[in-house]
Amino acid sequence: MELLSTRNLNFTYPNSSEQALTDINFTVHEGDFVVICGPSGSGKSTLIRLMKQELNLHGTRSGEIYYQETPLEEHNPITLAKDIGMVFQDPENQIVMSNVMDELLFGMENLGFSTNEMRKKTAEIVHYFGFNHLLQQDTSELSGGEKQQINLASVLLLDPKILILDEPTAQLDPIAAKDFMYLLKQLNDELGITIIIVEHRLNELFSLANQIVMLEQGRIKFSQNPRKALSLLAENMTTYLPEASQLYLTFTSSPEISDIPSNVKEAKHWLNGLDITSNQTQQEEQVKPEKPLLELKEIDFSYSKHTKPVLNNLSLTVQDSEWLAILGGNGTGKSTLLKIIAGLLTAQHGKIRYKGKKVKQMNRKFIGYLPQNPKLYFLHETLKDEYDALAEKHGKSETEVQTLVKEFQLEALIDRHPYDLSGGELQRAALVGILIGNPQILLLDEPTKGMDPAFKEEFASIIQTVKHTGVTIIMVTHDVEFAAKHVTRCSMLFQGEVIVTEDTNAFFKDNDYYTTMINRITKDSHVPAVVTVEEAKMSWQMKKVLPSSV
Amino acid sequence: MLRGFRSFHPLVLLLYYIAVIAGLMLNQHPIFLTAAFLSIIFVNLILDKGIELNKWKYMIIFLDLFVFVFTPVFNQQGNIVLFELFSRAFYLEAVIQGAMIALTLSGILALFTTFNIVMTPDKFLYLFSKFFPKWALILMLALRFMPLFRKRLADIQDVQEMKGVSMKDGKLRDKAQNGMLFLQILLTYSLEEAMQTADSMSARGYGLQKRSQYKAYRWKSRDWSMLILLFFLSLSTLIGWQSNKTILTLTPELESILLQGYSWFYLLGWFLLISLPIWTEGKEVIKWNFYQREI
Repeated sequence: MELLSTRNLNFTYPNSSEQALTDINFTVHEGDFVVICGPSGSGKSTLIRLMKQELNLHGTRSGEIYYQETPLEEHNPITLAKDIGMVFQDPENQIVMSNVMDELLFGMENLGFSTNEMRKKTAEIVHYFGFNHLLQQDTSELSGGEKQQINLASVLLLDPKILILDEPTAQLDPIAAKDFMYLLKQLNDELGITIIIVEHRLNELFSLANQIVMLEQGRIKFSQNPRKALSLLAENMTTYLPEASQLYLTFTSSPEISDIPSNVKEAKHWLNGLDITSNQTQQEEQVKPEKPLLELKEIDFSYSKHTKPVLNNLSLTVQDSEWLAILGGNGTGKSTLLKIIAGLLTAQHGKIRYKGKKVKQMNRKFIGYLPQNPKLYFLHETLKDEYDALAEKHGKSETEVQTLVKEFQLEALIDRHPYDLSGGELQRAALVGILIGNPQILLLDEPTKGMDPAFKEEFASIIQTVKHTGVTIIMVTHDVEFAAKHVTRCSMLFQGEVIVTEDTNAFFKDNDYYTTMINRITKDSHVPAVVTVEEAKMSWQMKKVLPSSV
Repeated sequence: MLRGFRSFHPLVLLLYYIAVIAGLMLNQHPIFLTAAFLSIIFVNLILDKGIELNKWKYMIIFLDLFVFVFTPVFNQQGNIVLFELFSRAFYLEAVIQGAMIALTLSGILALFTTFNIVMTPDKFLYLFSKFFPKWALILMLALRFMPLFRKRLADIQDVQEMKGVSMKDGKLRDKAQNGMLFLQILLTYSLEEAMQTADSMSARGYGLQKRSQYKAYRWKSRDWSMLILLFFLSLSTLIGWQSNKTILTLTPELESILLQGYSWFYLLGWFLLISLPIWTEGKEVIKWNFYQREI
């Protein structure tokens, strides 16, 4: 049955000359799992927000949105609020109440449920999600993944027929994100709830979805089943594909649509039929001279006397002008370590050497820090004011600032308010500000959170330029694929301790779970193990195609 | 605690506190007040072994001493002079008055420590939202924003300190100026973020119709009995006060402190009222011991 559809939908924001959406026609059937993808600014969020009437998007709309074959406007607003549920991107900002139980009840109270109904429904959902232990907690104490689950549950309590999700996992770490996706799959399979989700990370979604809609500049590029979508993406938008498919496409001259693998299992199957050797008989041994810039030794840190130490006997050496990634799960002390390196916290025990000299605390002057949320970086009304203030502080001339601004392509934006910039522009703008201070170390705190694949590449090249000016980069991240592609060395943090620091390649090749999809495909197989598609491109040599084992 | 005093409906609990506080202020008689104070200490002990009261003990002792010493200094009314100091008479009536004020104060303070244990914030909020639903919602939103603001401000401080803009060192003027700047970003930023909160509220149907309210506390039959008991005990206290049986007359002539006739009856009623938590909690303690013995 047709549940939701749009006919000739156009939308323009006020004071904007361009249409945000043009001629959108698509249909969602009952029980569908629809993924909407596309680059930032392609109108994905606008589209799903239009489907949720309560959000009351300002602008001019033409064309119709039908819910159960009746235009949205003709429905009872209360029915719509119940039937079409929505979960947003930021787990924190969606939460209204300070207590988990109240948060779950919030929607039901709005729609006038009776106490008995509420009691019964909450009991059911708490059981289904298994979060009995969270019920009495304050919402501010939950992890990002838990918060997003509460948000989902609070919407589900209203019995929605359609669940619309706007990049719900963009702010979550990969494990929580995967859990959340499988939860959606479960809701779709077991309860038959129709799901419309906007996402950048398509890796898992290819096997979950049954319809993929690609938007580009406000138009639907295609709306297809995953198999078909895979082949269409293969033609010119390979960055959106799972790495498994990318690998296949790199080594297949005439790809067959039905053969494109989308997960590890399918890719392994494909590799079975191939004979590949490594053409690098000898690894180019690049023995770089060891030049430690920063050494941490036996660092202990705890936030208060009675709590468990966050960092425990931690030792770490950072080489001059490298790009080091610090990986590790939630709560392993990554942010705390970053704060110690930044000189914001002082370790209770241990030694820090900077350029061979012993220091008690790092000098903040040498360090630039790009926060997870670059908005917090700006104090002034326009970028120009901000840069002028910084230049004055650090004794930089106007021309020096000008060159930086040019290098980062910000000339056109210099008189804008920082909050009017897009996410990518904001990050670049903050970087310019940091570079005015001439840092020797640049700290990045989960910089790729919520970035679309195309922008990740751009960001990496920006950081590479910064690195080439001799700045050492230390990055805390969850993004395994990004780290594998770009950084020089990786450290793994576990229970407040650095358990291993290795060159990126060696690091990921050893790992079984905490590694890239490509490595999981090639590890322990008859082909040379690689970590990224790029590495495969460089080192693999296709000998001949074995007779297919199928 | 699913049984015992704390399990009564919040409205009953609130009425209990109102009755006892009113009684403490009305029954201005040393014996009544001493009985009250001792029972309240016992209530504290039975509710949480006196942990909460322990935090307040210096405050209570200090306040008592202060009142007890200074009332006779300033109160110059009475007939019986105890002694003279610096050509100032100290009257027995004033000393008794001081003792009574001190006992009232310490009684109320000790009662408030039990209030903290019994009327947890959610019960309080529940009652509040019953009478002022709109304000209660705003209050709850505010409660949510407190930790958010604190976290954001800490983030802003960290980021800005890395830039060399600090609220911690430098001249006082600079510190104040930077602090204002930080607050400014905190507000602009929070307003931006609050747009998302607003979206999430309206997405869940906020403002479409009158809200219903989840009643976390059910009115049980024993709430009725407790309410009736409370009513009669308060009534007895009130009548006693009306007929002057529970008050020690200080002027024009000091009456004997000893209780006579009906006063004993009112004292019993008063004691029963205050010690309601002791009976209800004590029953549970005895039951519990009994079950353990069975096993």
